[in-house]
Amino acid sequence: MPQTTIYVAPRLAGTLGTLPPAVATVDLARLFQRSAALAGVSLTVEMGRTIALLGPNGAGKTTLLRLCAAAIRPSFGSLAIDGVDAVEHPEVVRERVVYLSHATAHYEDLTAEENLRFATIMFGWGAREGREVAREALATIGLESVADERVRVFSAGMRKRLAIGRLLVARPSLLLLDEPHASLDAAGMALVDELIGLWHDAGVTVLVASHQAERVAGMADGTARLDGGLLAEVSGSGVFAGPVAPQPRRRMAVAGMDR
Amino acid sequence: MTQLRRSLTVAMAIARKDAISELRGRQAAGSTLFFAALVLLLFGFALGPDAERLAQAAPGLLWLAIVFGGLITVARLHQLEAEDGALEQLALYPVDRRAIYAGKALAGAAAMLVLGGLLVPAAGILYGIPIGAAWVPLLTAVVLGAIGFAAVGTAYAGLTVRMRAREVLLPLLLLPIVAPLLLAAVKASSAVLAGDPLGEAGSWLQLLAAFDVIMLVVGAGTYGFLLEE
Repeated sequence: MPQTTIYVAPRLAGTLGTLPPAVATVDLARLFQRSAALAGVSLTVEMGRTIALLGPNGAGKTTLLRLCAAAIRPSFGSLAIDGVDAVEHPEVVRERVVYLSHATAHYEDLTAEENLRFATIMFGWGAREGREVAREALATIGLESVADERVRVFSAGMRKRLAIGRLLVARPSLLLLDEPHASLDAAGMALVDELIGLWHDAGVTVLVASHQAERVAGMADGTARLDGGLLAEVSGSGVFAGPVAPQPRRRMAVAGMDR
Repeated sequence: MTQLRRSLTVAMAIARKDAISELRGRQAAGSTLFFAALVLLLFGFALGPDAERLAQAAPGLLWLAIVFGGLITVARLHQLEAEDGALEQLALYPVDRRAIYAGKALAGAAAMLVLGGLLVPAAGILYGIPIGAAWVPLLTAVVLGAIGFAAVGTAYAGLTVRMRAREVLLPLLLLPIVAPLLLAAVKASSAVLAGDPLGEAGSWLQLLAAFDVIMLVVGAGTYGFLLEE
């Protein structure tokens, strides 16, 4: 992998031990047409940890990630991201959380570079910086040679690589990865593993949902297993069952800014 | 970067992205234009060869064709987002939702402006109406009509894009709301084409402008909620 710069959100003011957890849920539930995709999960994830989210199909992994990304609202319970109530302040959550979903979310008639350039603008980069950041990301994900080709002609694996490129041009504090290895070849999977390691080293909290239990558990600090919309088990470090976190704060100090 | 400048940058990026997608996916844009031109032609057949009757009905028929073409345009601009889950990603970017709305509405208005700009001379030829010196106020009506329709259409397309029956729901919801716009645009165009003997075209254009402002404010204020799942 070429030289890769990892960009992160401004760090929270505070010292280790006084920082809020990256994710704190209390009895978090989400119903879809009366069926509970998540049926009351209380979970705490420490900041800067990499946590594997495991479980069978329909366990609630994707729903939990989408709730953490503020893509959907909880039906019941509370959810705080970096100490901020995600229901009351989804706009603050969106500044700190980046989500890799099942859908790769590209624009078919735009080229790979145009898709990434668009993402850089959305993530707040200036024009010149954005161009450089996008090109560096393209080199990292191995799509430099097809940068000017439209996404419409890309294979599933190339689309996935480009979606991972979008993560590289973001500045996350919390990264939510839903099946990041899916559709990728062996080299692509190794790239994802390497990047997760880099994000971890940069202090980004990473939640990885995957069916590849051994692969993700091996690189994670801890694991949380969901089953039937409930938290079945937690193990390792950095993740706890139950609301052991401080209560969500309405306002928080972020390095260099006050929210 | 100030908040306003950032929002403008985001809106322009979204509009540019939509414009590139439209231009590269020529098939869809061309089909819309062809459909709207066909509507004009069929209305002409339905009314028969009476030149005076056609010229009288021309403003109404022109605007109906623009509205039908506009329905397809605003729906397609949101369909681009629905492909491959891009709409959810768009909603998750750390940007002001009003900027997203502004970008989508700008793209919609630009596409409708092109549509209207091509349909006006087409209607002139088909219905035998002399546009002549009336083209400036007529173009003003098209610009104001395009903005107003895109303002409402963007909001409703955002609301219906995730629904299964979106093809039926969008016109059902949108057409009653754009009825005042259609009325004002037809009246303004009729007055302009008749040489504006009563000096009423200005009032209808003012009504169109007021409709645009109200719908843009309401659309910008509600679009963020419409994006929520």
